[in-house]
Amino acid sequence: MTKEELIKKWLDNNLTLEEQKAFEQLDESLDLVKLNNALHSFKAPEYSINSEYGHIKSELDSVKIKTNKWFYPVLKIAAVIALLLSAYYYTTTLDTEIETKIAEQTNILLPDASEVNLNVNSFLAFNEHKWEDARVVNLEGEAFFKVAKGKKFEVVTKYGTVTVLGTQFNVIQRNDFFEVSCFEGLVAVNHSENRIELSPGNSFRWIDGKINVNDKELATQPSWLRGESSYNNISLKHILSELENYYEIKINAENIDTSRLFTGSFTHKNFDLALKSVTIPLNLSYSKTGATVVLKRE
Amino acid sequence: MKQPLQDHICEERLFESIFKKHSKNLHNFLYYKFGEHLNPKDKVQEAFIKLWQNCSKVSPDKAKSFLFTTANNLMLNAVAHQKVVLKYEKRPQKTATIESPEFLLEEKEYHEKLQKALSNLTEAQRVAFLMNRVEGKRFKEIAELLDISTKAVEKRIYGALKKLREDINGI
Repeated sequence: MTKEELIKKWLDNNLTLEEQKAFEQLDESLDLVKLNNALHSFKAPEYSINSEYGHIKSELDSVKIKTNKWFYPVLKIAAVIALLLSAYYYTTTLDTEIETKIAEQTNILLPDASEVNLNVNSFLAFNEHKWEDARVVNLEGEAFFKVAKGKKFEVVTKYGTVTVLGTQFNVIQRNDFFEVSCFEGLVAVNHSENRIELSPGNSFRWIDGKINVNDKELATQPSWLRGESSYNNISLKHILSELENYYEIKINAENIDTSRLFTGSFTHKNFDLALKSVTIPLNLSYSKTGATVVLKRE
Repeated sequence: MKQPLQDHICEERLFESIFKKHSKNLHNFLYYKFGEHLNPKDKVQEAFIKLWQNCSKVSPDKAKSFLFTTANNLMLNAVAHQKVVLKYEKRPQKTATIESPEFLLEEKEYHEKLQKALSNLTEAQRVAFLMNRVEGKRFKEIAELLDISTKAVEKRIYGALKKLREDINGI
């Protein structure tokens, strides 16, 4: 064993008896022992664990423990993500809404190139983002649909749902008046419990709580698209409210019987002419003051 | 004393056991490394207070290195490298009564030389050396305490010894 190894073993307090003797034989041993003894006076001051703990213990209660705050930044990130997600969800589920005022008609192209002519004083809503999954439009008022071939196409109204595959049809939903006319293809109307299928030229009508299915004249499109409205056996009440949809007027019909039936048409372009087309066949007269029209018996 | 199931030490009993296990070693480590004038006792207290504040983030097996690192940093913040002076005490020696004045003087000189030589060691050497010589710790214990290998401890201590003797004997 070399001297260095021996000294290292001595340092590590790891000498055997023989090694101890060998160490004592070394020239340096006396020197080392002297050094060793002298070093003891450099000992660290006495450290009393218990009394030191006594000091710290009294402080512990007043020290505020830092709570684990890792989740705060995580919460912030989560909040931002949630906000973005809800904004995304809100914008994607937001319906596209189209509304026409009195005397205003418009033409709407749906995402799959289906076409809608929205008649006066009507409202149409659909969701562009869900269009691929479900072709659904909500309708209030009257509209003519040319539906592109594809999946089921649904028109949802207050009084019933119209289901088709690809066709042209007209839907009217006004107060107590629901009419679906089929111009091409096949249209199914779900009205309360009933399901009625309409072939071209047929129309379904629910008016004042009564249902009837009619054969209509075979036209390629509803007359309102050509600037006039025609009606077949519709009570005057509905005709007058229709008139109010096409012209900015108020019709007072207090003194006449509005349940009389009307068959005929009126133009959308000339109010006097339209009014005459309605009143003359029914033997009525009218007087106009400003935007109010009062109907009288002749 | 190890409780691997615990991931924090916010319980006072656990904290106390950690204090009792590490405070003395930490104190001596600071003392031998930085000397006395920087109040190693206070730094030990401060380090343990910091450990308590962060008790929810420190698991029991990480406590030791947290304490040593924290205390060491506290020391370093307190001072930018001053020369370390270790106080030595005159201990009453058994043979004191029969010592001649010459001997006493010689011994005083020797101590002064030793004191100077100790402050000339590197911090790493001094800590390992004094823990070994004065505190009587084995190489392995020191290695564990300082998170270094036994071989490195051996090297530091032997190197310190060599340097001390050279300094004292003026070789």
